[in-house]
Amino acid sequence: MKVTVFGATGVVGSALLPLLVSDHELVVVSRSTQATEQAVRWVEGDASSADDVARAVEGADVVYYLVHSLGRRDFERQDQVAAENVAAACEHARVKQIVYLGGLGDDDATASPHLRSRRETGERLSAGAVPVTTLRAAMIVGRGSAAFETIVALVDRLPAMITPSWVSTPTQPIALADVSRYLAGVCANQAAFGESFDAGGPEVMTYRQMMERIALLRGRRPWILEVPVLTPRLSSLWLHLVTPVGASVARPLIEGLKSPTIAREERLRTLVPFELTSFNDAARSAFAHDEAALRA
Amino acid sequence: MLASGGFESTQRVLASGPVVESSESGARWLGIAYWQAVNRVTRGGVRARWTNDGGRLTLLGGASLLSFGTPELAFSCEVVSCRYAIQRGLLALRAGGSVTIAQRRADEEVELSVIVEEYLPRLAARRGAPKWTGTLYAKCQSPLHSAVSRHYFELLASRAGG
Repeated sequence: MKVTVFGATGVVGSALLPLLVSDHELVVVSRSTQATEQAVRWVEGDASSADDVARAVEGADVVYYLVHSLGRRDFERQDQVAAENVAAACEHARVKQIVYLGGLGDDDATASPHLRSRRETGERLSAGAVPVTTLRAAMIVGRGSAAFETIVALVDRLPAMITPSWVSTPTQPIALADVSRYLAGVCANQAAFGESFDAGGPEVMTYRQMMERIALLRGRRPWILEVPVLTPRLSSLWLHLVTPVGASVARPLIEGLKSPTIAREERLRTLVPFELTSFNDAARSAFAHDEAALRA
Repeated sequence: MLASGGFESTQRVLASGPVVESSESGARWLGIAYWQAVNRVTRGGVRARWTNDGGRLTLLGGASLLSFGTPELAFSCEVVSCRYAIQRGLLALRAGGSVTIAQRRADEEVELSVIVEEYLPRLAARRGAPKWTGTLYAKCQSPLHSAVSRHYFELLASRAGG
């Protein structure tokens, strides 16, 4: 099966490639040139360019769309253009399936621009004739995930935190390894064609509980005080100062944290069955990755 | 009002099909959607906060109006439900009672309901006391609860099949 992956150099894409490479012939699209390896052909291109996209999906059976423009000023428009390009090119190339990773909570009428953009991207991809498989996930627990990095940095750097009320919003984080397995599991799976699935982790918790768990794993005991008056703008500027996440990424993320991001159904667990990783194990795995990198 | 002094109320609507599947996630989502409705109807004035022990409804993120135990989730072919036991808070005279948010098969249709049982509201008139002492409950809390339930049903309808 020939599979094209957009966004392969991102956090999820990088974890997905090793799961696909043994069974499929891969074409990987990235903005910068990469050395082509056996069974993986790297194509330089940008999803916002219709010509690049058409070249990348030519002959593909399945296309993974893992692109987002978070951090850019006009990220909503950029995401729409890229999704339209991919939908049109896939239809023209007679691709059998598009697999898209969207966000849980994006069906909320008051969803943040970030979550709204994830939903609209899914809608643009589905506007073509190619069946789309959408997986909707909340925070991804793994190194490089902006939301996870933000929380770890807050816990590591601050002995005391004054937090906005969004820390009491419930969410259902999923391990990077698990979301990658789900993505790989729906590849060319006809039962998933044209379907949308909630990819929830095994535990529901608030962001505050998540901070407390990470603190325990890191051997810290931060003092947390929730106040109802911090605006997303103030919070994002603060995160920009104390975490590695820039304000342009932090703000849309924080706005999205107001909405509960909880799975509403569990069909994916039947379609792609395996034992989900607990939050603590997923976080430990991310930290072990750090330690291994340090040792190297 | 029940003989025990507790209050009971039921709001229900019929839907053409289920809004959630019969699973733990479906049951949990019914509960989460209800607290979202509380937040929306009060425009953020009353906010739901989740804690290790359950949840709380707070006034402007501060005073605790009602606190709840951890959600009791149940699901079968017939019923999907999320029940919160009322534990304490400014609006509860004492611990007791519950709020159950459910989806139940009813012949060809599905019944969505919000059921409050054995709740002892602080603002309601006590048994034998003049009726006017319960004005705040009758004119504020009770209509607000009905408005939240209406909004909740609309929210479910808007996301049905979503």
